[in-house]
Amino acid sequence: MWRLPTVILCITLVMVHIVSLGKISEQVKLLPQGEDTAYVIPTPILRITALEFRGLASDFLFLKALVFLGSTNERKEKPGVKTWEWKWLYHILDASTSLDPYFFDPYYFGNANLTWGGGLIEEANMLLEKGIRHRNWDSILPFYKGFNAFYFLQDNETASESLMEASRRPGASPIYASLAVKLAYKEKRTENAITFQEFILQHTEDSQLRKEYETRLNALRGVLYLEKAVVEYKLRFGRNPQKLEDLITKHIIDNLPPEPYGGNYYIDSHAQIKTTSESQLIPHPHQH
Amino acid sequence: MIALWPLAVITFREGVRNRALYGITLLALLLFIANFLISGMFMQEIGKVAVDIALSAVSLSGLLLVLFVGINLMAKDLDKKTIYMVLSRPISRFQYIVGKFLGMALLIVVTMIFLSMCAMLSIEIIKLAYPNYFQRFSWPMIFLALSFSTLTMLLLSALAFLFASFTSTSFITLVLTVIAYIIGQSLSDVKALVEAPQSVGIQVSSVTVKLVQIAYYLFPNLSLFDIKTQAAHGIFLTTSYVFWVVSYGLAYITLSITCAALIFQRREFP
Amino acid sequence: MIKIEEISKEFKEGIRSKKIKALDDLSLEVHKGEVFGFLGPNGAGKSTAIKILVNLIRPDKGKAFIMDRDVNDTGVRKHIGYLPENPYFYDYLTAEELLWFGGKTTGLSSLTIKQRADELFQKVNLQGARKRQLRTYSKGMVQRAGLALSLIHDPDVAILDEPMSGLDPLGRKMVGDIILELKARGKTVFFSSHILTDIERFCDRVGIIVAGRLRLVDRLDNLLIGENRLEDTFLREVEKAGGGMET
Repeated sequence: MWRLPTVILCITLVMVHIVSLGKISEQVKLLPQGEDTAYVIPTPILRITALEFRGLASDFLFLKALVFLGSTNERKEKPGVKTWEWKWLYHILDASTSLDPYFFDPYYFGNANLTWGGGLIEEANMLLEKGIRHRNWDSILPFYKGFNAFYFLQDNETASESLMEASRRPGASPIYASLAVKLAYKEKRTENAITFQEFILQHTEDSQLRKEYETRLNALRGVLYLEKAVVEYKLRFGRNPQKLEDLITKHIIDNLPPEPYGGNYYIDSHAQIKTTSESQLIPHPHQH
Repeated sequence: MIALWPLAVITFREGVRNRALYGITLLALLLFIANFLISGMFMQEIGKVAVDIALSAVSLSGLLLVLFVGINLMAKDLDKKTIYMVLSRPISRFQYIVGKFLGMALLIVVTMIFLSMCAMLSIEIIKLAYPNYFQRFSWPMIFLALSFSTLTMLLLSALAFLFASFTSTSFITLVLTVIAYIIGQSLSDVKALVEAPQSVGIQVSSVTVKLVQIAYYLFPNLSLFDIKTQAAHGIFLTTSYVFWVVSYGLAYITLSITCAALIFQRREFP
Repeated sequence: MIKIEEISKEFKEGIRSKKIKALDDLSLEVHKGEVFGFLGPNGAGKSTAIKILVNLIRPDKGKAFIMDRDVNDTGVRKHIGYLPENPYFYDYLTAEELLWFGGKTTGLSSLTIKQRADELFQKVNLQGARKRQLRTYSKGMVQRAGLALSLIHDPDVAILDEPMSGLDPLGRKMVGDIILELKARGKTVFFSSHILTDIERFCDRVGIIVAGRLRLVDRLDNLLIGENRLEDTFLREVEKAGGGMET
């Protein structure tokens, strides 16, 4: 007969447990998450505490980074991710690759997000450099370093060197060598950017990233189209057009290509084709 | 010497029937199943993660085996006075230590073989599910990593024997063995750290550096046997590395057991 | 058969280093084929002396010999059967495996072991339980298994430390029968006890030890002359030694 009260007690306790856990989880989310909670244990200490499970610890840290970035997708405020959070992301990926410097995923993921999302080009390159040093059978990491140098830092010399290194690695695409050579020349910037971006798109599977890259490609193609039109205008009329509409009135082109970011193309005082969505095309380091 | 083998046999039997062994095996099997779920969460290097988890599960199980079954086999003799039933036979103290160690070693090797096969099965299943994500994969390296893990466990249990030969309870033996394991695994890194402390921004006294350097030669450097990272990425080791590491391991084991036997000669059982 | 020559043994009690003299200049001889009863109150030193014979403890002074061989000679234990005071065995072994171990370590063939084990299990009444793990055994069963282990190799000398402890009257009769049988086969039996009736039943000679010193050794017949009871002799010796209860 004493069984029934015991059962009721157990059920009540379980319900209390579930309800209180739910309430607490909500409360925790509201707690201020400051920079001081973002400390990453220094690598030498991590190595010691991981004992013989360094590979596993490295996997775990990377997973932490993945989960963190995924959680920021739900955020409403802009910018979605704060600067110190990007820095934390870098440190966590740095720690992960220090525990296992051959681990590809953090290099790839880190580079893609730190550059386009966080604008932390130097950190991304430092990460890549570690990967280039250890994964000496890998040609894609030096390729990305070269791309970063070219696209974000406007440093064609480093870009060319990195691509040369990439072309020396096993399984390198022949494009690396030819790109390296092209970059030795400072012209044809937009064309090179398109070549780079096409190659990267080809080797990307993640659908979100693909959309981003495709949009950027369209924007770059638009810029190239307009650049070629400006060259033809100059050839015919001996001077650069004042504004892009002149290209249409002078019958060089029929319409302006649609700007995929929703902004507008324009020509600046140095006759360079720009777009009002410049920040999306080329994120700058001190953006956020 | 005839007494050696029967002692090894009953030590083995006693260990194999220990309930803790079933718990450890169950844990390992759960980890192998979890391996499939966890490794799928990663991007390109699913192969590396699968190998990481499988090999780590084997190492962890091996460690638990040594600490909770292995030490039990030896230290329990002293705790619970079951040693009388053995030492009253025509068996010398030295044969006792060697015979018991042989039994324990047999238990460790057999269990590790079983766990290794399950680990390799776990990896193979994941490989069949995600064949494109196993870029640099090497069964020989994985096999070598598992063998080295086994050697580590044998080394650790030899040390446990050494501790048990002069301590009074199995608990102290357990604590000392855990400490030896932690020191053994972190020794290389700690030595690197104290020899270049500026990387973390701390200062180390020269006494500490000296102590660490002495400890480096005294304690077994277990991290030499940890080649999980290389196995996960299919990076090969040189034959000379393998040769020297195995020699180091065997030498250390023999030294520990010999010291244990010598200490044990003088021991009395009132 | 057994010769103990001026053995002394001291123990340090804990960290306070209080020294306890467990055995004080003990000398004793047991002849071939006799049953010797070692009698004394608790803590008198009986187990210590026995453990010295089996080389589990080493004496501070003096020597001990069995069959004219020093007790620290490993080979001598081929001819000794030892039953400790409270036997403990590996939990997960069966009694059968225990006897296999006992036999193999003394060089017996598997066939001999099987034959002798059958006999012994019958004698100690463990036939039905022989394949069960020792951890399932009651105290009495453990004691009987220990006895079987000590006799599997048919030793010339049986050294039994409180062999009747933990046994019910049936068990005690069984052990007694075994001791008598050993005697009939010309074996030497050295056993310790503090139960006087057991001593009275089997022994040829008796030795009384109190507080580490041997007080009296004599043939049993001599001690029981007239109205004399062993108990009186025993209590007298204990009083002479100044009490006798463990301090």
